[in-house]
Amino acid sequence: MDAVVRARTAAYICRSCTRRFQLQRRQQRTFASASAAKPDIYDVVCVGGGPAGLSLLTALRSSPVTSHLRIALVEAQDLAKIRSWKLPPDRFSNRCSSLTPSSAQFLDTIGAWDHLKRERVQAYHEMQVWDGVTDARIEFDWAPGTAPSAGTTIAYMTENLNLTSGLLSRLEELGGVSVFDSARVERISFGEETEELDLSEWPVVQLAGGKQLYARLLVGADGANSPVRSFAGIEAKGWDYDRHGVVATLELEGEGWGGDQMKIAYQRFLPTGPVAMLPMPGNYSTLVWSTTPENASLLKSLSAKDFTAMVNAAFRLSPTDLQFMHTQESGQAEEVSWRLEQTPFSRQAVPQTVTGVQEGTIASFPLKMRHADTYIGERVALVGDAAHTIHPLAGQGLNQGQGDVQSLAKTIEYAVSHGQDLGSRMSLEPYLSERYAANHVLLGVCDKLHKVYSVGSGPLVPLRSLGLNAVNALGPLKSFLMNQAAGNGIKVF
Amino acid sequence: MRSSLRHTRRVVARYGHARTPCSHLQSRAAAAGQPATQPPPAQTITARIQTRSLSISPSRSSSVNPEEISHFNALASSWWDPLGPSRVLHQMNPLRHDFIRQCQNSSATSSFAPGQKLRYLDVGCGGGIFAESAARLPTTESVTAIDPSTEILAVARRHAARDPALSTTLTYLNKTIDDLPLPTTSATQEDTTTTTTTTRFDVVSLFEVIEHVDNPSAFLDRCGQFVKPGGWLILSTIARTWTSWFTTNLVAEDIIGMVPKGTHDWNKYINEHELREFFRGRPEWWGAPQVFGVVYVPGLGWKEVKGSEKVGNYFFGVQRIQ
Repeated sequence: MDAVVRARTAAYICRSCTRRFQLQRRQQRTFASASAAKPDIYDVVCVGGGPAGLSLLTALRSSPVTSHLRIALVEAQDLAKIRSWKLPPDRFSNRCSSLTPSSAQFLDTIGAWDHLKRERVQAYHEMQVWDGVTDARIEFDWAPGTAPSAGTTIAYMTENLNLTSGLLSRLEELGGVSVFDSARVERISFGEETEELDLSEWPVVQLAGGKQLYARLLVGADGANSPVRSFAGIEAKGWDYDRHGVVATLELEGEGWGGDQMKIAYQRFLPTGPVAMLPMPGNYSTLVWSTTPENASLLKSLSAKDFTAMVNAAFRLSPTDLQFMHTQESGQAEEVSWRLEQTPFSRQAVPQTVTGVQEGTIASFPLKMRHADTYIGERVALVGDAAHTIHPLAGQGLNQGQGDVQSLAKTIEYAVSHGQDLGSRMSLEPYLSERYAANHVLLGVCDKLHKVYSVGSGPLVPLRSLGLNAVNALGPLKSFLMNQAAGNGIKVF
Repeated sequence: MRSSLRHTRRVVARYGHARTPCSHLQSRAAAAGQPATQPPPAQTITARIQTRSLSISPSRSSSVNPEEISHFNALASSWWDPLGPSRVLHQMNPLRHDFIRQCQNSSATSSFAPGQKLRYLDVGCGGGIFAESAARLPTTESVTAIDPSTEILAVARRHAARDPALSTTLTYLNKTIDDLPLPTTSATQEDTTTTTTTTRFDVVSLFEVIEHVDNPSAFLDRCGQFVKPGGWLILSTIARTWTSWFTTNLVAEDIIGMVPKGTHDWNKYINEHELREFFRGRPEWWGAPQVFGVVYVPGLGWKEVKGSEKVGNYFFGVQRIQ
């Protein structure tokens, strides 16, 4: 009834007038519930306790400028479980990320780096990238004279749980955050207007059970399907790649061709998508294989022996051979062993042989590209996957999130030290202008790389092998790609 | 030329066509530096007071000009729109805090002990851009903000109600500096009959105000009495040069329309050397001034540019020595 009346009046009354009506309605409601408890007001309410959200809160708590802020964290999972996360030294989680030196530096600045289980973090110093169709190759080692010193770290491989657990440990040490975990966000709405206080532009996060958190700034660190982003009415545009990323923890025959002190990351571009093997401590590596959903489900259905054989094949055999083996329900191990005898390849140009896969670590997730139209609104800011989702081929997803957080924390610090309302759009503008374009370029580059190399034949193939060889020869472009991997920023653009 | 400008601003003030609050735009061209020509005649503040006060009722009127008030009343509604016409003022606000800190750091003596919180008096607070921000600082004990315009103060109060953090630190008073009771000499004697305490302040600020005042000399003297010994009188304004006439009156108001017509009366602009002269004439009260010239660079916002105080917008701070 009410809705009908409203719809009818709306047809006859201009928008500003209906808004006034709604305001009056809201005021009436307010007076009716005037006896309600005093609003629980926070300076920052962060929805999402993943790497981005936890880093942001750690940054805010560890800075003397922002440590007095009243902060709340809302997370769906039980954080105590993540905090006490522990695996034996010979077991590794399958969800790993590549942390650039600048991300690691930031984590160190906010005091979190020392809280990671450092013996489980693996630095790597060289990248081998090649085209599976033509074998054209880029060797991503530092050119003479450009590297600060031999064996310079390109990035650090870290289990995501090691990172979140370390951040939680640091946050616990700092204290002062109201944590609402195992919490479900029932809805996000706006506050109310009373005679003394007008909270009609303040987001209110209502948790299951009735708890209400008023936010001067509501941070959406709540992932690709961000409820905070929906609340703010910000759209995220992009596309699905029709690819899945298959992950697994692999055991290799040795520590790698370069030994413990010179770890190498490998990536081969196959027509179905890139397959990457990234070094973990000791004889272990982590796999990220982007492939079609059908191939992914076949890989997940294989025995450990056949899966291992397929991973070895992915770095060695021709795309045609691989394609054929994806049609077999089993028996890949035998297929691979005789095909390898027929295929010439340089042993040291590919990763050492995979000897096993850790039980229960094979999993997959769909790959997509998304970019929110903006990262800020009045009293809203988005960070990490809530703002952008990137193809994993450059290992930049988590680092983009860390870059966001660093910038947002700096923006909040400036606002606080200059008496600005840290939730106002005006105060948040520097964050948007610092991050949006930078993220956009990187999203675009990774998207194009995926597209150019996801073709098995046709005119693009000779062109791209020419391209890859040319890239290898072109110093400046190569060093751009290197610097990007190492998180030294976008200098070419 | 001058009479026509004056005419324009009277008309605008009467009909309320103005669209932005006061702000003075100095373009990059200005920064790039045509020489800072002084337009004739370079009057002293005192001389200008004498000529001008002939036309204005002299009683209790160091600050209030009714025309100015009605002009700013018309701007009230857009004051807090960050994308609206007062954007340049919002962008300038952080620099005010930087400047105050620079002043306080420049002096070995101060009105407050380390760790002690500060009391601010913001004169001509407008919609409260500075007053709110000062009240939010963790180092602030209280902010008293005054403005003669009822309409603008209503906007300021309504906007402050949107931030619960301000309710305990920020007080708006619809008064001129002349209406505000003079502070008692001792901090213990507080006037309990008025809503404001009448102890002196660590910071008395007059941002973009003095160029709208008829009797700047009396106004500054009056404001100065509210500053604690060791505290600072801080103001920002714009130099009266050909460049500032070109950028604030002709370009910003008449051509681009970035600042509403009638916001500025170029004749009232006060040059930095005139302010220096004024405070030098009261050596028993005031120390050597701190100055900070700023330039608005389109696309980048306000930037400090050394020496630009001779050309356009500048901050000026003096410490009260006793």
